[in-house]
Amino acid sequence: MLGRSAHWEVPRRVVVYYLLFCTIVLGWLLASAVIVSQASMRHNHEAAFLSYLGRAAAETTISYLETEGTDLQKLVERFAREQSLLYCAVVSPEGNYVAHTVRQRVGKPKTEPTGQHLRWGTVDAVRCRTGTNVFREYRTPLEAGGRTVGTLLMGVREVGWWSALRLTAEHAPLALAGPGLFVLVGAVVLSRVVRPMAAIDAQLRDAAIAPTLADTRLQTVKYRTPSALGWNRLIRHFEEESQGGSLDHRLNQALQSLRRDKVDEVLNSLADGVAVTDAEGRVTFANQALEAILASDAAAGSLVGAAMEDRLGLPAQSPALRQFLDPALHQRLVVQEISWEREGVQQTLRLARSPIRSTGQNHPGGFVWSVRDVTQQRLAEKMRNQFLDSATHELRTPLANIRAYAETLSLSDLIEVERQKEFCNTINMEATRLSRFIDDLLSVSSMEMGALSLTRQDVDLERLFREVVSKVKPQMDQKRISFHCVLPEKFPAMPADKDKLTVALVNLLGNAAKYTPDGGRVGLKVKVIDRRLFVDVEDTGVGISEDELPRVFDKFFRSADPQVREQTGSGLGLTLAQEVIRLHGGELIVESQLGVGSKFTAMVPLD
Amino acid sequence: MNEAPGNILIAEDNAALASVMRFNLERAGFRVTVARSGREAWEQVCSRSFDLILTDEQMPEMGGREFCKQLRSRTESCQIPVIMLTAKALEIDTEQLREELGIETVFVKPFSPREVIRAVQNRLAATC
Repeated sequence: MLGRSAHWEVPRRVVVYYLLFCTIVLGWLLASAVIVSQASMRHNHEAAFLSYLGRAAAETTISYLETEGTDLQKLVERFAREQSLLYCAVVSPEGNYVAHTVRQRVGKPKTEPTGQHLRWGTVDAVRCRTGTNVFREYRTPLEAGGRTVGTLLMGVREVGWWSALRLTAEHAPLALAGPGLFVLVGAVVLSRVVRPMAAIDAQLRDAAIAPTLADTRLQTVKYRTPSALGWNRLIRHFEEESQGGSLDHRLNQALQSLRRDKVDEVLNSLADGVAVTDAEGRVTFANQALEAILASDAAAGSLVGAAMEDRLGLPAQSPALRQFLDPALHQRLVVQEISWEREGVQQTLRLARSPIRSTGQNHPGGFVWSVRDVTQQRLAEKMRNQFLDSATHELRTPLANIRAYAETLSLSDLIEVERQKEFCNTINMEATRLSRFIDDLLSVSSMEMGALSLTRQDVDLERLFREVVSKVKPQMDQKRISFHCVLPEKFPAMPADKDKLTVALVNLLGNAAKYTPDGGRVGLKVKVIDRRLFVDVEDTGVGISEDELPRVFDKFFRSADPQVREQTGSGLGLTLAQEVIRLHGGELIVESQLGVGSKFTAMVPLD
Repeated sequence: MNEAPGNILIAEDNAALASVMRFNLERAGFRVTVARSGREAWEQVCSRSFDLILTDEQMPEMGGREFCKQLRSRTESCQIPVIMLTAKALEIDTEQLREELGIETVFVKPFSPREVIRAVQNRLAATC
């Protein structure tokens, strides 16, 4: 809006005014000088001329008397030459020209010019005008011895404007130097004062004619005068207000950057890996979780810029890769689960890719990937399935026995009474086993909910241990396991939950019996030291590998060892035992060697 | 009761169940041998001939499936009809068991002993 030409337009206008002003002033000055010099010249000239006229009259009179007028013609011609006269003449008393610079006029009667008459003593003059010329005819009588012998005439051009101008021009350089200097200084001062003002003025004019103020772009000026500095300060203030500046705008900007930061922060705080890829499949954003999941081999560098499919390490013909590359699926959400091994650890990742659809565009401009490490979930699922498997087995086995015996009893005739009793006993035993398992299940369930609580009362520990042993003994006898039991001579009384403590100890001893091969050994050693009860359960069973040792107390955990697998079990026994002992304020620890045996030690404080 | 005598092998680690099945089968007139594991059952199969085998699926040392595989790999025993008893219901694919292991009938615990005996009788009657 404010171009270079416009920038200069206003100064030019000002300069024109300025020059006009200067011209008028200088013209006025010049005219005054001419008028003054004309007046002064006329006065000087007149005085000088009158004096010359006097002398010339005297000379003419003498020449007239001496030579009888023969030299008069030469004389007037000399006068005319000396004074640059228009003409010079001598007139006889009779009124004829005796001599005249215009020779033809000699002898002719004098012509009387018309005009204004002026008189200085004996000298008089007629001021007359012919055309543009103004001249005066001076006349002085030639007197000798009291009589007039003639009249001397001199026609002289009056001092006019032109000669005054010439005189002025002679002195002009000196006369105009002063005002000229003022004009120059004025110009400099003017440019310093006016130019910034003009630049500001131009912008204000634009603002005055702009349709809306929004169209007006006020800008700073490059001058350093106080007014320019003030203007610039104002403009900068307004720019701050409007650009970054208005409260609304500033607030919006702050919010936007806050939002962007917040979004990044939120994405980086997600536990799931998140990546954004462009239409070419290159990663443009990856959050920290994803870097952590995928970039365990740090040599591969940052994810940004890499192709997502490459970094997922999908084998060329894997179904997951085929799905991700299938153009038909580019418009849809694709979910795939992949497994890989990273540093010897099997990992399962769940990948979800969804297209980013810009409004009005059919083809996706890129994808959002979310990557979740579901290893733990899958492991938990596997454990739960294992548990379900074992649980159904644990439930079905006693149920199968009960049904088989009951049906046999009801449908077969002629069974000896002894046999009948035996069958009923078996049914009873199996029912007990079933209810114990269900108790375990419920205990673990309430333990999971944190609702497992103890009902403490004084317990006769000796009786408790006898009961525990009696429950496990038949199983050991069946496997011909030699059982060594060392109990203290006298048990102190102990406030405890009898049922739960029994369950825990039965689980420990039952496990020892279950996982010890036929003919093995199981030991139970109970000691009381420093008001603390120590229970050691030792076996010569299959043992637990070092890998699995930390997990034996996890619920539903069952060893992968085939020797363990062939035994039925819920994976709840040890979990429950540990929790019960923990609730009693004690702890349960395990030492084991694969193929040699295991030793579980429970420590419970007596108070 | 005595018209279809046959040698039957029960492979079952659950002693109580094996015992009641033996009781019922013997009452039906069969001669019954009980093995406590797949390995024991395999040893029995190698030493004697049986007309039918009742086997549990989950057993120590050698499971029911493994036992059947061995059974089918041996010419003398590949034709013996097998009835399987199992505590798993969800994972059992009877079609697969029939095709791969020649197991004709699968009973899921808890089963009715009477139905098992009827199945044994029917199977043996068909062979004769």
